[in-house]
Amino acid sequence: MKSVLLMLAFPFVLLASPIESYMQALAVQAKIEVPNFKGFSVQRGEKIFTSKHIGKKGKKISCVSCHGNDLRKSGENIFTGKVIEPLSPTANPKRLSKLKDIKKWLRRNFKDVYKREGTAVEKGDVLRYIQSK
Amino acid sequence: MKKTVIMMLGSMVLCANLAAGEEHYEHRKKSEKMTETDPLYVSECAGCHMAYQPAFLPKRSWKKMMLTLEDHFGVDATMEKEDEVKIKKYLLANAGDVKRVGGEFAEFMRSIPSNETPLSISKIPKFVKEHREIEKRLVTQKEVRSWANCAACHTKAESGNYSERSIFIPNYGKWDD
Repeated sequence: MKSVLLMLAFPFVLLASPIESYMQALAVQAKIEVPNFKGFSVQRGEKIFTSKHIGKKGKKISCVSCHGNDLRKSGENIFTGKVIEPLSPTANPKRLSKLKDIKKWLRRNFKDVYKREGTAVEKGDVLRYIQSK
Repeated sequence: MKKTVIMMLGSMVLCANLAAGEEHYEHRKKSEKMTETDPLYVSECAGCHMAYQPAFLPKRSWKKMMLTLEDHFGVDATMEKEDEVKIKKYLLANAGDVKRVGGEFAEFMRSIPSNETPLSISKIPKFVKEHREIEKRLVTQKEVRSWANCAACHTKAESGNYSERSIFIPNYGKWDD
């Protein structure tokens, strides 16, 4: 019986998407950071994404400054003018599909806007927000 | 036995990949198009700006650039060590002072004083000279944003063609020197 269950479970383990396995890892970390952590929040993620801060360049910016208000539409890098493909995974299936890219952009962009890396809770929240769009 | 065969196959594939990698980073021939197609260079560098032709800067500039990615023109551009090594190799192999470059690339190189290590292409003397007549408002307008956005006016910049004939400045039109 146990082996049947294992066999059934096996394909799902393989199919766990990079973003979902990463979110699970972030949740484990989040519980260490915040003992009463109850899960990631789209609302908190929205605040992280839309609130303005004096960024690395000394200018007041938010994630919205480059990604725009509608994540299903293209944005534009405010410093270089380069078009940024939509961030919403619904509009752009390439988004949140590669672990390496997810980690890279979270690291870089948190530093650009917040001048520090995000915590596990913050990263998870902002990812949930992006997923909800 | 089976395990050994798998291991052998594995190492063969690995070797083949390494060999292909070497070949990949050799100098491009002069006749080749100057469009940047290296997947790693494009994915890591052209997410935020145009994939500038490495021939715009000398080797010493690219070395410095790759050592200062934490503050890359005020932005964090750090990447995984492994990618950083590969990209540096690519940039150094295609820098303006290692390959025989023609036209404006050669003039850009010649204009840089030997004791200077520019990081901004737009600070190179030849660049400054070529753009001296452009009004500031044409650069700061939202269709262009900054000197970093070559392709906003040089319509064939991505392919390495910066000829006057392919210039079209938003809200101004063709450029006639």
